[in-house]
Amino acid sequence: MALKIIESCVNCWACLPVCPTEAIYEAKPHFLIDAKKCTECEGSFADSQCASICPIEGAILNSLGEAMNPPGSLTGIPPERMAQAMAELAAH
Amino acid sequence: MELPVLNAHQPAAAKGGCSASSCGSTDDQVNQLPDHIREKVQNHPCYSEDAHHYFARMHVAVAPACNIQCHYCNRKYDCANESRPGVVSELLTPEQAVKKTMAVAATIPQMTVLGIAGPGDPLANPERTFATFRMLTEQAPDIKLCVSTNGLSLPESVEELSKANIDHVTITINTVDAEIGAQIYPWIFWKNRRIKGKKGAQILIDQQQKGLEMLVAKGILVKVNSVMIPGINDQHLAEVSKIVKSKGAFLHNVMPLIAEAEHGTFYGVMGQRGPSPDELMDLQEACSGDMNMMRHCRQCRADAVGLLGEDRGSEFTLDKIDAMEIDYAAAMEMRKQVHEGILSDMEEKRAAQAAKSKPKVPAGTRPVLMAVATTGQSLINQHFGHAKEFQIYQASPEGVKFMSHRKTDQYCSGDSTCGEAESALARTIRSLEGCEAVLCSKIGYEPWDLLEQAGIMPNGEHAMENIEDAVMAVYLEMLAAGKLAEEPEKKQRANA
Ligand code: SF4
Ligand code: SF4
Repeated sequence: MALKIIESCVNCWACLPVCPTEAIYEAKPHFLIDAKKCTECEGSFADSQCASICPIEGAILNSLGEAMNPPGSLTGIPPERMAQAMAELAAH
Repeated sequence: MELPVLNAHQPAAAKGGCSASSCGSTDDQVNQLPDHIREKVQNHPCYSEDAHHYFARMHVAVAPACNIQCHYCNRKYDCANESRPGVVSELLTPEQAVKKTMAVAATIPQMTVLGIAGPGDPLANPERTFATFRMLTEQAPDIKLCVSTNGLSLPESVEELSKANIDHVTITINTVDAEIGAQIYPWIFWKNRRIKGKKGAQILIDQQQKGLEMLVAKGILVKVNSVMIPGINDQHLAEVSKIVKSKGAFLHNVMPLIAEAEHGTFYGVMGQRGPSPDELMDLQEACSGDMNMMRHCRQCRADAVGLLGEDRGSEFTLDKIDAMEIDYAAAMEMRKQVHEGILSDMEEKRAAQAAKSKPKVPAGTRPVLMAVATTGQSLINQHFGHAKEFQIYQASPEGVKFMSHRKTDQYCSGDSTCGEAESALARTIRSLEGCEAVLCSKIGYEPWDLLEQAGIMPNGEHAMENIEDAVMAVYLEMLAAGKLAEEPEKKQRANA
């Protein structure tokens, strides 16, 4: 059982100091979670700390490979609206 | 400690800021501060309109993490509350930041202020931020330290801030109402949880206000920044201004929202517009009745180096700094001399300005806004076409006062008339809305014609003259020509 940081991570450092087990480390091209150390915060906190502070939707996955913070859940931007805005920008 | 009400002894007619010729632009607001505060701010380039022509500030990006989300920010980039959106600053360790600061201080003796403003929230990175401040307090005691924060972790940081001898703190306060807050802050990270909506906003607001009170009680200067978001908090900011002033903040700086879809921010993607230059100025006016306003903020980026509005950061990249040998004791001696020279220069100019007799303009004559193209030194010394921003001055029977800066083509303010077809020149002219004249060193034929069509009188006759003198001269010409008896052709905002 462990969470995973993937390439959409922007290296903002927010998760590193809040991890109770020091499972998170700085790496290139992005931060990583040491699966051996990660407890998913069981026994320490009700919510996994890294996923509770990470500002980037989709950057942290659970052990099933699902986004802890799915699209739209943090920014409040409806995913369709984001897709539409990005398509408009790409068309320019 | 209660700070006195700064504008209390100004005549009602000068409401909205100081009349520059009689008591000297926003700097003169600085002159009216109690001595101990004035001492602290008079060579601070971010606080004193005068000082920012002579002194420089720099920011170091040592604080990457943030503990809240703002709808105008995208964490792929620097924090948008102090920095320009869409830029990424080079993240430094505290040691690197100290080395960089000392390298800059030794090279640019005018550098007086070191700030930490991001790219995240400095107080959400207390170890990195305070390590930087501690080292600098020790190794470069002649550099002033300042810090900007969203306020969430402020109360728990006040003690450490006062120990590190930091005397300027900027809090970004966009609202005191949780309903409004929920439309600006989608979530905060608080006591090991992510808290969304109104509940999160209320905690943030409470922490900001508590932090403000605690700082004032410690005698630490507090400046408040607010981002003006039309339709969200624009009507509410005058109240914010009143409240933060009554709690002892000494400056309130209202900045325009910058929102573009390509920044990927909530406001950008959802099509929230920023304020027009006119709307911003009206609000700054409305707030300044209640408190000192800072009108020359340029929203620098988190690793900016130099005088406000310029950036010499590329001269101080890490490898260049590594190659530098710094004898800071010698640098400090040199810096001291330079600073004394500048301060006595500034005093002289102030005295000369104060000695000038006030021109006679009948009371009740309507005020006029004019745009000025300048690269600094209080002179009209820039070609119209080279100006990336204009300084807006108001002439009235009370004298000349500085009102605001308006950028020309960096950002469009996002309203519907701003399409791609609009030329840079047309956009520049639109940014001058409300002005009746534009003073510059030179101007081409094409912009001349377009300006005239827009009801703005181009004027290149005062090249290399002192701005305030020239603005008053043009005002007097307009008066003599009978132009001030009639309302201008276009909608006039100067007396709104
Ligand atoms: S889930 Fe908890 S233990 Fe695992 S990496 Fe995140 S913060 Fe650390
Ligand atoms: S908080 Fe998220 S974006 Fe920031 S470093 Fe951690 S995983 Fe990456």
